[in-house]
Amino acid sequence: MDESTTDDDNASQTTEDDPQIPAPQRQPVQPQPPPTPSQPPPRERPDYRLRHTLRGHTQSISAVKFSPDGNLLASCAADNVVKLWSPFTGELIRNLSGHTKGLSDIAWSSDGQYLASASDDTSIRIWNVETGLTTKQLRGHTSFVFCVNYNTASTLLVSGGCDGDVRIWNVARGRCIKTLNAHLDYVTAVHFNRDASLIVSCSLDGLIRIWNTTTGQCLKTLAEGHDAICQHVQFSPNSKYILSTAHDSAIRLWDYHTSRCLKTYVGHRNEKFCIAACFSVTGGKWIVSGSEDEKVYIWDLQSRTVVQTLEGHSGIVVAVATHPHQNMIASGSIEPDLAIRIWVDRELPVAVP
Amino acid sequence: MNATLLNPFTITHPTTIQTSLVSVASFARFDPSGKLLAAGRPDGSGVIWDLDTRATIRWCEGHVKGVTAIDWSRNSRYVLTASKDWNIIIWDLASPCDPPQRHTTIRFDAPVVAASFHPRNRYRSVVSRIVLALLSTGEAYIVDLRSSHRGRFELGGEDDGDEKRTIMTTVRFDPTGRHVFVGTSAGTIEVYNTRTKSLIARHRIVGAGVIKGIVFANGGRRLATNSSDRTIRQFTLPTYPTPPEQNTTYESNKCQIVETELEPTHRFNDPISKVAWHAISYSPDGEWLAGGAADPAAHKIYIWDISNDGQFASALDGGREPLLDVHWHPHAPRLASTTKDGNILIWHCPSPERWGAFAGGFEEADENAWYEEGEREFDLEDEAELALRKKLQEDEDVDIVGGIEDSTSTVPLNDVTPGDVDLEWADEEGELDRKDWRMKIITVEGEEVY
Repeated sequence: MDESTTDDDNASQTTEDDPQIPAPQRQPVQPQPPPTPSQPPPRERPDYRLRHTLRGHTQSISAVKFSPDGNLLASCAADNVVKLWSPFTGELIRNLSGHTKGLSDIAWSSDGQYLASASDDTSIRIWNVETGLTTKQLRGHTSFVFCVNYNTASTLLVSGGCDGDVRIWNVARGRCIKTLNAHLDYVTAVHFNRDASLIVSCSLDGLIRIWNTTTGQCLKTLAEGHDAICQHVQFSPNSKYILSTAHDSAIRLWDYHTSRCLKTYVGHRNEKFCIAACFSVTGGKWIVSGSEDEKVYIWDLQSRTVVQTLEGHSGIVVAVATHPHQNMIASGSIEPDLAIRIWVDRELPVAVP
Repeated sequence: MNATLLNPFTITHPTTIQTSLVSVASFARFDPSGKLLAAGRPDGSGVIWDLDTRATIRWCEGHVKGVTAIDWSRNSRYVLTASKDWNIIIWDLASPCDPPQRHTTIRFDAPVVAASFHPRNRYRSVVSRIVLALLSTGEAYIVDLRSSHRGRFELGGEDDGDEKRTIMTTVRFDPTGRHVFVGTSAGTIEVYNTRTKSLIARHRIVGAGVIKGIVFANGGRRLATNSSDRTIRQFTLPTYPTPPEQNTTYESNKCQIVETELEPTHRFNDPISKVAWHAISYSPDGEWLAGGAADPAAHKIYIWDISNDGQFASALDGGREPLLDVHWHPHAPRLASTTKDGNILIWHCPSPERWGAFAGGFEEADENAWYEEGEREFDLEDEAELALRKKLQEDEDVDIVGGIEDSTSTVPLNDVTPGDVDLEWADEEGELDRKDWRMKIITVEGEEVY
């Protein structure tokens, strides 16, 4: 990207162009040239209301994900089972069982026909959603598999394990193509960019790393501070930025080309658990995240203010997901609540198909 | 957008082999996105490779004799295979099965040695419905599958009888699709108008012998030929007149034929061993020209730097398996070359490991450098002031959804100036191509077979 940094007279110069000088952690970043023309003027606050409460998991829920067409919601939990729900009626549609240990993450293929699940039994299973059967079981991780994601073409899977490895898999053949010795601690999130040329990973060793998918080379490492152990990371919908959540109760939006933190979202509590955050782009542009105070927080992307908190869970909310087409949020919580809640923006009623 | 992050260096031609695909192929062609590779095999099948996973994903099995040519539609949905079994098959990769469904089969009365889609129509239509084919008998046809123009037209078919008929040895659409360039066994290049199928120019190339191959660069203004005198020639093309509508008489068309000798701007050959060339290919920006040497005991690709007055840049050594074909990637410094044993070598330009990338906030320096300290660089600043400044900086708006750059973006189609009959003709019956088609992932059970 050609976003040349403008020189600020007062700011000390800490760009990557300065060799040999270790960048002090809390240095001010330089002002950023205004990015692309902004969206339509001020949006009102969202008004999400509880629509459904889905109960069924018997142990802590670890992830919820909407299918690409938005007609299904998948959830996984420590009780070894993946559950498929209808987000519109709240009905349980199917259980996918086969894993022998708890599940940490799930990912949908772009066509919505397959679901990949990452388990503590060190394997990843690819499920045919239609039949409920396992089409492939990917083995190779030497420890718990903690996170998994598809590329846009759904030909590749990337997974991260508790051994610090990131693995890239050929989905059609169920084979590991590449292993990156990426981190020194649990890899807690991995994500492909739009064209799958890059992978971003983050780990409890406190680092966010960006990798070249083809060569497996590390291209960049981002670190905010020793107290900011990052535990969830993903590319923005246009893959220009990455969003990370960290244990200093802050969510950050990074420009990974310049290694600058552009936005910080605070207000929630996140000090111990791996809590996901996500972008909401169907209505206003929001950032949505769970919190250790049993609420779901919604921030305005630009102003960084909390625009709504969703209360109702009686456990720490670790999983959130936004619907691909509608103003709908799903959130999942750990013990003792064990419920998934579906929240719908009241302004725009959801048509039940 | 990530080019600078992925490859910070500016070498733009490939230098080393990245991978070798065991494919029993005689040639291979990248698709326009550069993510897939289609390989033609002597046993009559066309194999689609996914370069992300380096695995075969489709087998186009329909020919009973060797595949001689492969071409991709603009959005990679359709693949054309031509074969010595007299057929051209157009395959639809959106069909959820392997082998994919046939979209069209075109049958000729002689082996097909070359075929391609019309480059213009393929920017736009669901399937390119204008196909150019060359038969082993030396005749070239334009097959128009559009309902309002349906037909099979022989190029130069109505040539006068007294002239000795030349054998056509290679045919190519130019990148705009306005013209068909035909190389002949008599060392001439004939230019036909695609719409009227009439001969508009004939260029004699002195000393060339048989023209074996034609490639274009710079949107069709530059042309390189490979010929039997073991020399690659590069020409700058003149602009050709647009012939009038077809209702004018044949004689008036004939008057307009431009008969000139083209003088090459550059000649490329191997001055020492004088090897012949099996194939030539331009880089997408036209700045490099790659020639695959017909060396019986080595796999050599010569690269010339066109932007630097055609200077010889490097010779890539791919080992002992002789080379059959070479093809440049549509937008990256990569090449696919095929060996006589059927292996496809993918060449790339490796970026060196940057260990500095593993440490956040560090930048690797190649050499020791005196660091010029900024005036207030190490001054202690007020924490509160810093926090305030950071807060202000964070007020800048960001755009998280827009501005998506597509590496395979196509030429915009509003480039037709009114009255440009050639392009208007080619765009007729052009339905908008669906860019968002998706190839179904077919799960492979058991071990892979070649």
